[in-house]
Amino acid sequence: MKLTWGAEEEAFRAELLAFLDAEVPEEIKGGRDWIGDESPEIPKWASEFQAKLFDHGWMVPSYPPELGGRNATPLQTLIFLEELASRGVSRSVHFGGYAIVGPSLLEFGNEQQKGMAPSAIRGDTVWCVGMSEPDAGSDLASLQTRAVPDGDSFIVTGQKVWTSYAMVAEKCFCYVRTDTSVAKHKGISVLIIDMDSPGLEVRPLRHLTGAIEFAEVFLNEVVVPKENLVGELNSGWRITMGSLAHERGALWVESVSSAQRALEGLVEIARRQGLEQDGVVRRKLAELYEEVHSLRALGYKGFASFAQGSSAPEHSFMKLATSELRQRIYGFGMELQGPYAAVVDPEFVEEGGRWQQSWQISLAGTIGGGTSEIQRNVVATRVLGLPRG
Amino acid sequence: MDFTLNEDQVLLRETARAMFGNECPPELVRDAFYDVTSTGPEAASSFFDRHLRDWAALGDAAVVDLCLFMEEAGRVLAPGPAWVNTSLFLPLLRAIEHPSADLVAAGEVTGTVAVCGRDGYWVLNNDPMRSFVPHANEVDVVAILSAGNQVSCVAVAELDLQEVATLDRSRPVFQFAVPAGLDSTEIGAEQLAVVLNRGTVALAAELIGVGRWLMDTTLEYVRERVQFDRPVGSFQGLQWKLVDAALLLERADAAVYYAAMCLDAGAPEQDRAVHVAKAAAGTAARRWARDGLQSLGGIGFTWEHDLHLRLRRAQASEQLLGSASWHHDRLAELIFAPD
Ligand SMILES: Cc1cc2nc3c(=O)[nH]c(=O)nc-3n(C[C@H](O)[C@H](O)[C@H](O)COP(=O)(O)OP(=O)(O)OC[C@H]3O[C@@H](n4cnc5c(N)ncnc54)[C@H](O)[C@@H]3O)c2cc1C
Repeated sequence: MKLTWGAEEEAFRAELLAFLDAEVPEEIKGGRDWIGDESPEIPKWASEFQAKLFDHGWMVPSYPPELGGRNATPLQTLIFLEELASRGVSRSVHFGGYAIVGPSLLEFGNEQQKGMAPSAIRGDTVWCVGMSEPDAGSDLASLQTRAVPDGDSFIVTGQKVWTSYAMVAEKCFCYVRTDTSVAKHKGISVLIIDMDSPGLEVRPLRHLTGAIEFAEVFLNEVVVPKENLVGELNSGWRITMGSLAHERGALWVESVSSAQRALEGLVEIARRQGLEQDGVVRRKLAELYEEVHSLRALGYKGFASFAQGSSAPEHSFMKLATSELRQRIYGFGMELQGPYAAVVDPEFVEEGGRWQQSWQISLAGTIGGGTSEIQRNVVATRVLGLPRG
Repeated sequence: MDFTLNEDQVLLRETARAMFGNECPPELVRDAFYDVTSTGPEAASSFFDRHLRDWAALGDAAVVDLCLFMEEAGRVLAPGPAWVNTSLFLPLLRAIEHPSADLVAAGEVTGTVAVCGRDGYWVLNNDPMRSFVPHANEVDVVAILSAGNQVSCVAVAELDLQEVATLDRSRPVFQFAVPAGLDSTEIGAEQLAVVLNRGTVALAAELIGVGRWLMDTTLEYVRERVQFDRPVGSFQGLQWKLVDAALLLERADAAVYYAAMCLDAGAPEQDRAVHVAKAAAGTAARRWARDGLQSLGGIGFTWEHDLHLRLRRAQASEQLLGSASWHHDRLAELIFAPD
């Protein structure tokens, strides 16, 4: 056990830092969250930054250069994510393409589909991921959007919901039911659907924050060529499990760093409000500090098992723990602001209600990507080995 | 930071686990509890003599190694003064270059440290009494620390020890009057901090071991125990409680070894890391004692079940070298300190 990495890793870090110093766009410098707004368009600076990362091998470093990487080792990937996270820089404003669709096409797609991966990762093609439906959220396997074979095509009818970026996406990585006669996990397939197909309609949904980021997608007898099937027919459930395997050991870094930045903001608020000497505030802050820093250590501990090729049960806790921790940090910051906690008017509160905005966003963290309740069920059965309920 | 154990560390952990597994059965630990009138349980002290003197030199080793050992000791609740002797007494003697340090490392002389006055806080003071002195009845020498960073080593035979009975019979603590006219040596403030940090992290590692036993025992029980025709471990209300407690223990475990690495590297964040480690480990062990007891139901509330031994250790050790609240308050001072 030791605190520091070797010289080779530090050289890698130095090269990365030089790149980031030169290339990180103004809009996200200094760890500002880019939160989206009324316009659903992907901003130009964001697409340009993503393309630049790709061209310099800094998009998914563990991939080869033709996929936007530089064949980085797991440890180098960890360092890469550490540095992005500590600066609050994200690679893309639409993570579905590089983090879910690209890797899944590479793992499960045919030759022609694999060829679509580079543009998904570079962000040239914007993708959305159609999993959730009105009656299939946590219980994804009960999805009902039907795809019925018809000659060389499937005819797809159904509805998706909460589909992030659907209004700007060119393509959808869409989970559909292709067999109703078998157990629900066994009749699911993945189709690539062009978003401009006749019969497909997108109705944007506003977030609770007011931003337009996700949408409802209605599919009414949409014709999808059979060659757009990803992987085998009825093998879609396996694909839900696959995403950036190379980065799995380090995905926690971003969430811990964002909790740490939030905590630093909280200390600032306490100072600003003249609460530095308040015993209750001090103790509460110290407890949150304990949580942030012990979770960071836990992430690194899990990484050590991951890098040695074993499973890292530690990481099963990270999404659950960091999303709930962020909510508590932002919630406490609201409390500390007293009567101004509810004010978002830039004339009256620091940073124009940015804290209030981040607090709202933190509320999505325990829902999207698997709710906290589902995470607890998964940890209970898979990590603690408790019997299923 | 790299949590990978090297080969020697893996071996150390396995050797310690095997030794405790073979040589320290629950009956041995229970003897110390049942014999509430004795101040030096025979079986327990002979366990230390036979098996733990050999490990005393760990007090000179890397803190990570010391923690690996302490975690195993905590899991079985090993009787005897190993913690205070290796993690506090030996490092203290090294820090003041005491001539007996080598004898302590060789397991030939043992000792404890006396820090608290009667208020029980681990802060140097001028109280005429020292209290909460662990295992004083089982060692040869007591190192008395006093205000002004003074250290005096006194043979136990020269002290009039009075036991302060606590919840935790397996770690007796004592009070005594500081003899007049002792010779003393000054220890540097930084060196003293290093010694106390070392003892604190080692105690936190022991608490992780206590928590591990509680967690393993609880999970095993709820998988087997059937009510309403189902294992009780399949009820979501119980599952979620145990998931949250498991998260607490896992992050505390990582925090302890992170603090150990910081001490070994002399890293600037070592004080913060130690506060985090002790606060998290104490909280996790107490949480598992409580939620473990709740999950075991009535059987957990019996004297026969070994759970209460851990409940007692967790509760008593929480107060040694600072409770979670105490460490949080120190942490807050560092968080708000001007850079
Ligand atoms: C910001 C955001 C972006 C999103 N982006 C996408 C996207 O791009 N593509 C996409 O497909 N989806 C997306 N989602 C949807 C997301 O995956 C679902 O919201 C999530 O899986 C929960 O499903 P649900 O909303 O239907 O809630 P439900 O599953 O109906 O759950 C309702 C409540 O019941 C609880 N519950 C359900 N089952 C259990 C159980 N077994 N035990 C205990 N409690 C249970 C849940 O935890 C929750 O509290 C997004 C969501 C958000 C918030």
